[in-house]
Amino acid sequence: MQSYSRIIDSGIERAKPLLGTTVSMRVHGLPPACAHAAIDAGFAAVRTVHETMSFHEGDSDVSRLNREAYRNPVAVSDPTYAVIARACAISAITKGAFDITVAPLLVARGLLPCPARAPDPDGCATWRDIELLPANHIRFRRRLWIDLGGIAKGYAVDRAMDALQGFAPKQACVNAGGDLRIAGPDAERVRLDADRGNDETVPVIALANGSLASSEGRPAGPHIDPRYRAAEARQFVSVAAPRCIDADALTKVVMARGACSARSLAIFSAHAVVHDAAFGWREIRGHG
Amino acid sequence: MQARFLLIPAAALTISVPAHAAIYLSVEQAQALMFPGETFTAQPVTLTDDQVSKIEDASDTNVLGNQLKAWKASGGGWFIVDQVVGKHEFIPFALALDANGAVKDIEILEYRESYGDEVRNPKWRAQFTGKHNGDTLKLTEDIQNISGATLSSKHITDGVRRLLATYAIVLANH
Repeated sequence: MQSYSRIIDSGIERAKPLLGTTVSMRVHGLPPACAHAAIDAGFAAVRTVHETMSFHEGDSDVSRLNREAYRNPVAVSDPTYAVIARACAISAITKGAFDITVAPLLVARGLLPCPARAPDPDGCATWRDIELLPANHIRFRRRLWIDLGGIAKGYAVDRAMDALQGFAPKQACVNAGGDLRIAGPDAERVRLDADRGNDETVPVIALANGSLASSEGRPAGPHIDPRYRAAEARQFVSVAAPRCIDADALTKVVMARGACSARSLAIFSAHAVVHDAAFGWREIRGHG
Repeated sequence: MQARFLLIPAAALTISVPAHAAIYLSVEQAQALMFPGETFTAQPVTLTDDQVSKIEDASDTNVLGNQLKAWKASGGGWFIVDQVVGKHEFIPFALALDANGAVKDIEILEYRESYGDEVRNPKWRAQFTGKHNGDTLKLTEDIQNISGATLSSKHITDGVRRLLATYAIVLANH
């Protein structure tokens, strides 16, 4: 059992607006100049993800795919290819409970802007219509729009943590608007910011060498069950997993499938806590 | 990975220092990071009513105050400290502009955001009164992080747009 008692200094922490939210990074046990160089490298990694995977930026990989991949295979950067490949793997494992092709529904709800010059999507298209070709090329078998908003933040956190680790801090944390990763010998406590209407207890996850992502489902919010293409009931979900890319994507799976997601969680060595008004807090442990 | 879920009685957390009440950088630290090796000349500006309305028209945002905290960097860039209203409280940030007025970098200086509904609960708030980052009396009880529904950074984006309009209308000819 790791303790939460040994963080030797209060660390150096900075924050910037990126990925549509506030991204903060903290390192411990490094001299200030080295700590700031580490944090600069971490933010550079996040900025790369921001620029290549944004649905909003017209020249991002995602926008090019949405415009052109139905007609011709489109070459994308290594990170974009890696994220889309991971997204499709998670879709396969979760039988479509996570699906990056729900973008048209998010556009219809006004949560994303309508992509410019992209062909109108085919309502029957799913993740199965994304074809991963050699040499970082991707083709869509049907007209579809992808949005990586449900997974790219987690990936950015993982890449930022890689960058921080290059400077060998004793302890480090990257937090992209609540999707976070902690590395080092000490467990840290993370408060789950669920809107519960009861403040007699504070929900906390003590996390060491792992990632945590949270989502709150609400009517007309960004969480859509891809199988029914319908909004989720109001609930709060946090998923802990070794990698933040998986934690981020799996929040949507737990949102859609509740306790039925245990088998999927196990594949990613993940587990979840869920809160809703009817049942309060529940833990879903991954099992095979 | 180790992850353990706990429900802690709120009363047990009287000495915790949430990361969301963090002070990230002082003005001097932000200057040194954003313009390494440069020197700064304070050029505070009091905006006229006419300038305020022009800035509001150009940026489609509200100007919160008429005092502009601006510094000219020795390399020709500008360093501006301003704040935006977050979900509940002010968020101070620093904007670095290059000599052509393009955004060079943004740093959030402090974050006191997101106690959610608890912010209105005096009992909850009382536990944070007078706490600052560094008041780590008992690290064993610290809650260092918060995870929840993603908060938008739109207020900061709006603040940057307002300062870019301020630069064009007020500072560009300085």
